[in-house]
Amino acid sequence: MFPLARFRVDDQSMEPALHAGDYVLVNRWAYRKVEPIPGDIVVLRNPEALGQFLVKRIASGTAGSYVVLGDNEAHSRDSRHFGPVPKDLVIGKVRYRAKA
Amino acid sequence: MSIAHTLLRALDRVAPARVAHAHCDIPCGIYDPHHAQLAAHTVIRMVDLIGQLEKPGPDATPEQRQEYHNKLARYIATKEQHAEIYKGEVRVLWGDYFKPEHVQQFPQLHDIVWKALKSASKGRQEINLQGAEDMLNQANEIAEIFWKTKGVATVKAKAPYPTARDTVYPKLG
Repeated sequence: MFPLARFRVDDQSMEPALHAGDYVLVNRWAYRKVEPIPGDIVVLRNPEALGQFLVKRIASGTAGSYVVLGDNEAHSRDSRHFGPVPKDLVIGKVRYRAKA
Repeated sequence: MSIAHTLLRALDRVAPARVAHAHCDIPCGIYDPHHAQLAAHTVIRMVDLIGQLEKPGPDATPEQRQEYHNKLARYIATKEQHAEIYKGEVRVLWGDYFKPEHVQQFPQLHDIVWKALKSASKGRQEINLQGAEDMLNQANEIAEIFWKTKGVATVKAKAPYPTARDTVYPKLG
């Protein structure tokens, strides 16, 4: 598996860190040996619709389960709604952002 | 727009990037059961008005018949429209606002919503005062649960409209 994956950011839940239309490069190998830490921006599968991807920030985590939140709380559906997310839904860590 | 962005966008033509939703459904957090309650009042009022409408007798003039049909059609159209508004509002509260933990706390919620939608179908299809009143009663029950999930106390008071039925209001401020 090639480690880098490209995603285009849609909507506003990660403003101001990420805006709709930005591209991000994600390191899919980032969490092979280490665990996500609070503050990491990650792309994950939407636990409510597995075919869809979300971009959120890790807020906290224990033993393979992570609370993810959007930076823009008023416009984010996240762990406040769907609870902590298991590690295997986390695709990888956002390494690079290209602003729209 | 950065060079990197232009390059990445160009790559999209070859192989489109997957989309990472910062999703939303915009949970804007703005919900209120009042719309459903209000729509139920309107349906009750239309049933009342239809009942009060004087039917043209055998010696009514064409103009009187026309006026009767015009009023009846308008009341029915409004009743149809507001029964549908009611159903839309109830569905939004049910599908978007209420969360699994609310249902754990209020296990009767699904049943109330189901009854509310059935009453609204009746309120729409028929000239049925009981159906219209059921709509309001179920909207009131939903409103009570809704305001409880918000930690807001409620009061039941006669609505200040011609329908004057008991209606659940939040005690705000």
